[in-house]
Amino acid sequence: MATFAIRTEGLSKRYGSMDALAGLDLEVQPGEVVGYLGPNGAGKTTTIRLLLGLIRPSAGRGEIFGLDCQHQAVQAHRRLSYVAGEANLWPSLTGAETLHLLGRIQGRVDEAYRDELTERFDLDAAKKVRAYSKGNRQKLILIGALMCRPDLLMLDEPTSGLDPLMEQAFRHSVQEAKDRGQTVFLSSHILSEVEALCDRVGILRSGRLVEMGTMAQLRHLSALTVEATFETTVPDLSKVEGVTAVQVDGRVVRCQVHGTVEPLLKVLAGSGVQGLLSREPSLEELFLAHYGSSTDGVLTDVH
Amino acid sequence: MSTDTVERALSTRDSSTGPVGRTPAAVVAALTTARAARSGALWGLVFGLYVTASSLGYATTYKTAQAREQLAAAFGSNFGINALIGPARHIDTVAGFTAWRSLGVLSIVGAVWGLLLATKLLRGEEDAGRWEVLLVGHTTRRRAAAQAVGGLMSGALALWAVTAVIAVAAGQPSSVSLSPGSMMFLAVALVCSAAMFVAVGAFTSQLAATRRQAAAYAGAALGVSYALRMMADSGTGLDWLRWATPLGWVEELRPLSQTRPLALLPIVALILALTGAAVHLAGTRDLGASTIPDRDTAVPRTRLLGGPVGLSVRLARPVLIGWGIGIAGLAMMMGVIAKSVGDALAENPAFHKALAQLGGKGAGATAYLAVTFLVVALLVALVAAGQIAAARAEEAEGRLDNLLVRPLWRASWLVGRLVVILGALILAGLVAGTATWLGAASQNAGIDLTTLLQAGLNLVPPAVFVLGVGVLTFGLWPRGVSMVTYGLLAWSFLVEIIGGIVNASHWVLDTSVLHHMAAAPAVDPNWASGAVLIGLGLVGVTVGTAAFSRRDLVGE
Repeated sequence: MATFAIRTEGLSKRYGSMDALAGLDLEVQPGEVVGYLGPNGAGKTTTIRLLLGLIRPSAGRGEIFGLDCQHQAVQAHRRLSYVAGEANLWPSLTGAETLHLLGRIQGRVDEAYRDELTERFDLDAAKKVRAYSKGNRQKLILIGALMCRPDLLMLDEPTSGLDPLMEQAFRHSVQEAKDRGQTVFLSSHILSEVEALCDRVGILRSGRLVEMGTMAQLRHLSALTVEATFETTVPDLSKVEGVTAVQVDGRVVRCQVHGTVEPLLKVLAGSGVQGLLSREPSLEELFLAHYGSSTDGVLTDVH
Repeated sequence: MSTDTVERALSTRDSSTGPVGRTPAAVVAALTTARAARSGALWGLVFGLYVTASSLGYATTYKTAQAREQLAAAFGSNFGINALIGPARHIDTVAGFTAWRSLGVLSIVGAVWGLLLATKLLRGEEDAGRWEVLLVGHTTRRRAAAQAVGGLMSGALALWAVTAVIAVAAGQPSSVSLSPGSMMFLAVALVCSAAMFVAVGAFTSQLAATRRQAAAYAGAALGVSYALRMMADSGTGLDWLRWATPLGWVEELRPLSQTRPLALLPIVALILALTGAAVHLAGTRDLGASTIPDRDTAVPRTRLLGGPVGLSVRLARPVLIGWGIGIAGLAMMMGVIAKSVGDALAENPAFHKALAQLGGKGAGATAYLAVTFLVVALLVALVAAGQIAAARAEEAEGRLDNLLVRPLWRASWLVGRLVVILGALILAGLVAGTATWLGAASQNAGIDLTTLLQAGLNLVPPAVFVLGVGVLTFGLWPRGVSMVTYGLLAWSFLVEIIGGIVNASHWVLDTSVLHHMAAAPAVDPNWASGAVLIGLGLVGVTVGTAAFSRRDLVGE
């Protein structure tokens, strides 16, 4: 049996009466880059902290490369690096001192790669942590994780506070890790980042994994956006099987199609269509479809 | 400040959206006032009840003139209590006893309250970034600092008001019979050190870059004031030193008898000078920055950064050096005056009887040192409490995550840290012994180094016990570490001071960690009871470490 990079069975965490994570079953193959999405409070950080053994599961278990997250944490940690969304470091140490310390505790560092990363992220390592901006602190823990060339990178919103240029450097680095066969588990809010980097995406909601699959699989589950322009009269499409959200704007009709497009094509074929556009949903549309269009945490179920 | 304003201030804070819909100019004042006044009123209750317990307790326990004279004779010669809380004057009267007992204890409690409150509401709020919200475009830093200082002083005012009301009521019974006017002045005297150390805390909040550092500077100032006051009250002709320390000015107010309102002058002058300087400095620095310059770049020094133990040493070093200097300074001063105090005591027959009861040996000097070592023991135990609180802060503030997501067992991180702390405690004991010896030898006091080194090591077991309690709490109830360890020490010190005055039952005395320490160098250290304290401490360490290895990491 092949060993999974990450595997969880019914992994759960309860705080009082609140399920922070409920029965997570997850499998990540070595070499995969997996995106992990969900609104604030959905349980992304809880999952990662459970996998790191920083908190204890209420039920279920997790494994990193076949090593138990709780009882073999130290062995598991030899093979991974972690980047938190908030860089809490020792204010009195300089960047260089911090990297030295973290490397010594990790036990392995690719020094040439560390120097390359320091240059790539344009970090002045002689400065003390207290003098760094939030973005610079974030760069420091990113370098601290990447320089170890771990088998598994666990990234929890790793690019918060980075400017677009550094975001580019980050993507480049993750792509490098992927090319070297490292596994990446990326929790993120930046959907374009996940879309660009990840082989598979999991969507978490209120402590439950509601969707898991490749981008193509997720798209298949979701609707196709179709825009048709008619020569003269616009037919009524709202009764067509699988068609929803019909909007008529003059001679142009926009609608969503679930499942096969065949019924719609049959109707359109005899209606004098002048132009036809169809577009697959972006990850953002997929994400919003799962959480409703509201971004302030008020969720509406569309399933 | 009306309760209405306080209500509005609270509601503004709760909305956490900043100063919407009200004059931004007064927001800082209102916020600080609300919190400071609440705390001041609460502690005023404690102060008032303490005054009541002192006056009524004395009036009902010592009813006859004869009983009062006996008490006065006993404490007039009790140099130990005199050194710890100030000289007992006129304690054959309700007024004298009440003033002596409440002033000695509450001055220190008030000073600690003042410096913690000021550093929390000034530097702590700024560290947490809450000032940024308030200061965006609305008011200058200097004006905000002035408002905050005003708010803090209204906290001291609330402390005075509540204390005064209760004290005036306590003066009413015929057995006590102290006039409202004199009780109000007593309340003034009791609040003076609180107000001065609010000012000290406001000042150090401008100097330091973090709340912890600001509180440490202010704490050092309190330590120096206390040490000077102890020397002034040692009865060796150093009385003039009383005018060199804020705690001495408070003593010179002499409330209830021989009142000297003139001593208010230096007190008011100090408060005005320090708060004025604090407001001035607030305007000359950046938000979040410190006045004492701090270099932003440094050549990497990686010698200690090879692992968690080295990191612990590196992080704790500045704090431990500060404590070391403080302990050495106090111990050396006590060593210097030990001989002259001892000579004065040698002429007092009552003292010899008391010393013999303790099983004491040697000259009066060692007996004096035994009492002052109680204060040093408290300082060494404070090092232990501070260090376990620092370990907890590493966890609470998320820095520990960086280590524990790497191949490092939780237990080895914690044990490594504890080994460093233990080393520091032993070193502190040896430093105390050596510094005392240096001071004593300079005056030819004739106490040998071995005796004093042993007396120094005698201070370590209570500190190890406190460390054990701290680690146990860290494992089982991480958020309670500071409260439990500092609470235990505050309780122990109060029991030592008050227990000696009221002849408390041994059940109460036994709850003090410091009570289980032999009075070295006056008597030989009791290594057996020391071993028991250390053993209990190690049990706490073991259970606490095991619990920490199994629990969730928790933030603030």
